[in-house]
Amino acid sequence: MPAARYIRDAAVFAPCYIMLDWASYIAPLGPYNITPWNPQPALAIVWMLLGGLHHLPVVAATVFLADVLIRHAPAGVAVTLLTSAVLAAAYGAIAWFLRSQPRFHPGLSTTRDLTLFATATLAGTAAGGALFVGVLTAAEPSFAGSFLEAWLRFWTGDAVGVLVTAPLLLVATDGERRRALASLARRPEAALQMGVVAASVWLIFAGLPGDPSRHFYLLFIPLIWVALRGGMEGATVALGIVQLGVVLGMHSLGVDWLPAVELQALVAALTLTGLYLGIIVDERGRAAESLRQTLRLAAAGEMAGAIAHEVNQPLTALSNYGRSALMLLERGGEGAAQLPSTIGKMLSEAERASDVVRRLRDFFRAGTTRLEPVPATQLAAAAERIGRQVIGASGVAFSVRAEPGLPPLYVDRLQIELVLRNLIANAVEALHDRNAGEVTVAIGRQGASHLRLVIADNGPGLDPEARLRIFEPFVSGKSTGMGLGLAISRAIVEAHDGTLVAASGAHGEFHLDLPCAPTG
Amino acid sequence: MRANGLTVYVVDDDPGVRDSLGLMLGLAGYRTALFADAESFLAAWRPEWSGCLVADLRLPGKTGVELQAALRERGASLPVVIITAHGDVPSARTAFQAEAVDFIEKPFDVEQVKAAIGKAFDRESRRLARERERAADAERLAQLTLREREVLEHAARGLHAKEIAAALGISPRTVEVHKTHIMAKLGVRNVAELVRFALAAEPDAKGRAGSG
Repeated sequence: MPAARYIRDAAVFAPCYIMLDWASYIAPLGPYNITPWNPQPALAIVWMLLGGLHHLPVVAATVFLADVLIRHAPAGVAVTLLTSAVLAAAYGAIAWFLRSQPRFHPGLSTTRDLTLFATATLAGTAAGGALFVGVLTAAEPSFAGSFLEAWLRFWTGDAVGVLVTAPLLLVATDGERRRALASLARRPEAALQMGVVAASVWLIFAGLPGDPSRHFYLLFIPLIWVALRGGMEGATVALGIVQLGVVLGMHSLGVDWLPAVELQALVAALTLTGLYLGIIVDERGRAAESLRQTLRLAAAGEMAGAIAHEVNQPLTALSNYGRSALMLLERGGEGAAQLPSTIGKMLSEAERASDVVRRLRDFFRAGTTRLEPVPATQLAAAAERIGRQVIGASGVAFSVRAEPGLPPLYVDRLQIELVLRNLIANAVEALHDRNAGEVTVAIGRQGASHLRLVIADNGPGLDPEARLRIFEPFVSGKSTGMGLGLAISRAIVEAHDGTLVAASGAHGEFHLDLPCAPTG
Repeated sequence: MRANGLTVYVVDDDPGVRDSLGLMLGLAGYRTALFADAESFLAAWRPEWSGCLVADLRLPGKTGVELQAALRERGASLPVVIITAHGDVPSARTAFQAEAVDFIEKPFDVEQVKAAIGKAFDRESRRLARERERAADAERLAQLTLREREVLEHAARGLHAKEIAAALGISPRTVEVHKTHIMAKLGVRNVAELVRFALAAEPDAKGRAGSG
């Protein structure tokens, strides 16, 4: 029932709002009771942003109730009713603006979302503060101090409170963010990071002598660490700890109004820095992942093209032999003697086609990397076979050398064969129109845990600039294809914890390092 | 079909495709010759070969289109049919830019191949007929004496008997006699045909005059 739900939500919201207001009622200033940090508007804004603007009456009532309970409504009931309505309207306006933005995601998944949120908050609290102070000044001329100063203070308190608290609430209410947070929390690193953040807060307030804001910069270092490793989720939790620590610190030190505003402004700066950094880290991660996906698709596409070609060959032969068999039948007599051999050839072509299909199935099975120990000799044999296929009748010399007694590799055999095919085909292509071309594959040890495959040709090699760019997608010396071969190869190799580099030198040479199988 | 002396030269690196295509075309009455790659075809090639080249687009070493270019360089005008297992637009464009008679995707139907070979053979037959005609013309031209060829050259430039006589320092009457002989030897009935013949044969006539 919607009504029941409405009441239930209100029953959760109102006590939370009042408790938050009470907890943050620190260092109130002057007759307006302006405090340096107001997190409770964030609760109201997030509730209306996610739940809808029909909660506005509950918000207004709660604001009024909180003022009566906590500050005993110093301006009188009628004026407090009016100021409550004004504040609730300002919070509602912020929520309404954000809801009306196309593509605004409340989980703050892009820097655009965060910028919209920060802008709406600054503008909304400025307008709300002006109205609030204006109503009070008009109702109680005896309060009249400096309107501008009161407004500025009110604005800082609300803006900082919302900027720091609302992202925490938004992340906490976003399902995807919460799941990411849960997986972050399971990392051993997370406990260490949070410990360092908490220790830094302690240092600022208790450990180091002097004004806390002087040492505030210490917090930026662990925050950058957390944001780089954990993205937005990590940054949010670290910021929550910082905010909690700052509030406790201010309580215990009995900080005055002005230093409290300064500290909160610092927290706001820290918050925005941390959130932007975290979101940028997330965005970069998403971009890298989507590129990897694209490359995987492109690899599948190239493979499918190659396989279509290979299926077409036996199909063509089959159809030719079938037509020939019909003609032999029509001819009868002498022609019939040739039939058995023709049908035998048809069977072997059918076998060839089914071989190709089996390989296609294997490849799509290998769409996900399946690591297994592969003997180095088996890889050498695969290189040999691939080399023979690639070179065909082009007259390029080809040889494979493997050191004796190499340990097995820990790789996905099919994917590494695809990489080898790519590298060997590249080497052969580099020798295009060259006499006495030669391609070699050498397999040896590389450190304790890796094997190195050196795929070399005696062609002209790459100039230094090309060597740096050759792995970028769409950079290709070839007129055909999309130049994805090397980019795909490197993506595959890196998924194996290996590396693929173009070595410098007078000739073309690629170094492919792959991990060995764990021993024991 | 064997009688016309045209051969289908198949160049495909895939042994199954090559063998089956050879068998099928052989049974369909074509004379065939099979090659595994462009290089072995070019090594075996003789200028007098006529017929049609059926080449795979992607061959190890030279591609089918490069093979066609190499043939043109050697002055061979053997028509080419490109077959490919990659039925993509760039392949087709490359093939047609290289003036292939047809572009056939694998797997193909025998009728498709026959139609393409038929088109190629038509082109080849027309070329051979033209060549035979030119050869016959050249043969007839070779029967002329040096003096008669001089008279023919002048006549081809549209000079009258008198002018030719003046140029060659002989009498107009002798020029008329030469003309009659020339027309008889070349099998033309009037001066207009004579001029046309001379114009068609001019490069040849000049070449021979120069070397002889």
